[in-house]
Amino acid sequence: MGPRSLSTRLLASVSILLILFFGITIAALDFAFQRVTEQAMHDRLEAQMLALISASEEDSSGGLQPAPEKTEERLKNPGSGLYGEILRSDGYPSWRSNSLTGTGLDFAVQLPSGQRQYRQLHRGDGSPVRALSRSIAWEFDNGVTRTFVYSVAEDLEPYYAQLNRFRGQLFGWFGLLMLLLLGSLQFLLRRLLTPLRRIEREIEAIEAGRMTELGGGYPRELLGVTTNLNALLRGERERLARYRNTLGNLAHSFKTPLAVMRNLLSGAQGRDLAVARQLDEQVGRMDDIVKYQLKRAAASGGTGLGTAPVDVRTVLESLRAALLKVYADRRIDCELVVAPGCLFAGDREDLTEVAGNLLDNAFKWSRGKVLLTAERITDPTARRDGLRLVVEDDGPGIPVDERTRVLDRGARLDERVSGQGIGLSVVRELAQLNGGTIRIDDSPLGGACIEIRFPAT
Amino acid sequence: MRVLIVEDEKPLRDSIVEQLQQAGFTVDAAADGEEGLYCGREYALDLAIVDLGLPKLNGMELIKKLRAEGKSYPVLILTARDKWQDKVEGLQAGADDYLAKPFHFEELLARMQALLRRSGGWAQPVLRCGAVALDPRTQEVTVNGRRVDLTSFEYRILEYLIHRAGEVISKGELTERLYAQDFDRDSNTIEVFIGRLRRKLDPDDSIKPIETLRGRGYRFALQRESAA
Repeated sequence: MGPRSLSTRLLASVSILLILFFGITIAALDFAFQRVTEQAMHDRLEAQMLALISASEEDSSGGLQPAPEKTEERLKNPGSGLYGEILRSDGYPSWRSNSLTGTGLDFAVQLPSGQRQYRQLHRGDGSPVRALSRSIAWEFDNGVTRTFVYSVAEDLEPYYAQLNRFRGQLFGWFGLLMLLLLGSLQFLLRRLLTPLRRIEREIEAIEAGRMTELGGGYPRELLGVTTNLNALLRGERERLARYRNTLGNLAHSFKTPLAVMRNLLSGAQGRDLAVARQLDEQVGRMDDIVKYQLKRAAASGGTGLGTAPVDVRTVLESLRAALLKVYADRRIDCELVVAPGCLFAGDREDLTEVAGNLLDNAFKWSRGKVLLTAERITDPTARRDGLRLVVEDDGPGIPVDERTRVLDRGARLDERVSGQGIGLSVVRELAQLNGGTIRIDDSPLGGACIEIRFPAT
Repeated sequence: MRVLIVEDEKPLRDSIVEQLQQAGFTVDAAADGEEGLYCGREYALDLAIVDLGLPKLNGMELIKKLRAEGKSYPVLILTARDKWQDKVEGLQAGADDYLAKPFHFEELLARMQALLRRSGGWAQPVLRCGAVALDPRTQEVTVNGRRVDLTSFEYRILEYLIHRAGEVISKGELTERLYAQDFDRDSNTIEVFIGRLRRKLDPDDSIKPIETLRGRGYRFALQRESAA
């Protein structure tokens, strides 16, 4: 899994928090509403109960029933949703409301005198009703006291419908609110993260070499980062330039006396010296050491950050033209095959040095044909493409058992004989400093094949 | 052959000048870029050796200026920095070859001779015209395989004529290429040496290598051999 962006992280965490928060709120509201509506229903049932009791009159059979004119209209209409019953103590109903007709609702209740009870009952079709039963002792006009159980019940369907409507509205409004909150959060985040996105964009531009440093106008909190990054980039570039200049001067001031010495040794007085040859060899050795160490030190080996990626074709073509001029006598056929879009994500001088040494070697040993190939190394997970350079010639090649030694020459300058050439070991060093590898092989052309790979990064 | 060396380091310059003179070259020396530019403009040169790190006017600029003015003689760069970037830039600026310091004088000489050969249109190291062969590396001259002993000055005249075999070379041009300073261009020294050369190369007057074109100069008349 790739790294997630800051805003995704924040949005995800806030969404989880919001869902939790709203979930609890909704549950609490729902619970409270249920309680309130249930209480309201109980109050209604209680009121119906009282109305029924107060409307009750003795009938001829020694039972009780409500006076029709005082009876609630709904009790008279079948299926109205409000039901009533007066039960005698022997279990036979003294009165049943008309609304009970066809409902299959049976109160079937036994209650000690003076008690009341709320129950959930079901009609014959299974739909729920809320029932209140109350047992009362009725003193008749003749002085006899009998116990009756009064029951009233109301359909729960409307209550559930109301609850569902309420829940629907609750979810609707809270959902809307959550979307609104998330939306505005994202908007805020976008605004807040704009400078960070700008940094990201500008760093990409710097990596691509379109910009050399970050722009200005960043918010105070980021100024520390951007100014320091710019200072770092500038410092890096200037340091390299200054460093190379110093090394160049060092090389110059070192090699000029060596050149004088060498020329004096081959001059009129020098030639006659008995030790001229040995001295000259030592000059060569000193030259090699200076050359190797300075080339190594001058390598950027850096990221090339803040500098445009190097167009490989341009570098290789100018090297090819230069070497064809130098080796004009040899009439060498040097073919250059560069894949489109080949870029070197590093320092131009490093690439020129690597390719220059390789090509020069190839020209030196070739019998007439040199092939230089450059390809991209792509990697979907990398930000920059890598580069594969292959230089082949039709010369004598490098024997298998010599290959390691040839690459190590520069590192063990003391052991080597002057004049063997340190080109390949310089190439190896520069390639490695740039994160690359070198491999020596046989070429189909008959000579050496040297492959340099700079991996995608 | 007349060459210019532009090098700011005196001991090195002196040493090169001395050895080049011994090798039979007419040598002009300059210590900085501006002096080099003056010499490169004014003298009839066959080749210039230019150090890249020069005071006043750096070597790269010097070469560019000379090329921009249409000077086409070969230029060899000397460089102490030994960076490919510099070499490429130098060659792009118009130089023909480079040599990293410190170098062996023999190497310098070999590169110079190769450049001179190329600029004269010669492909092989030994210059052959008919029966006459001249090897600049050994300064050996043979006619029909027989070695001919020449003095240094005779050799230099012959080398120049053969290099430009087929072309008419005026007496003035010969004088310029063979003497560092202008002196007495009217003298008949050249004529004397040409006469000696003819006698040495062609004692029985059979191959007639050097032609005199009255009022115009001399021409090495034997056909160039593009020997394989």
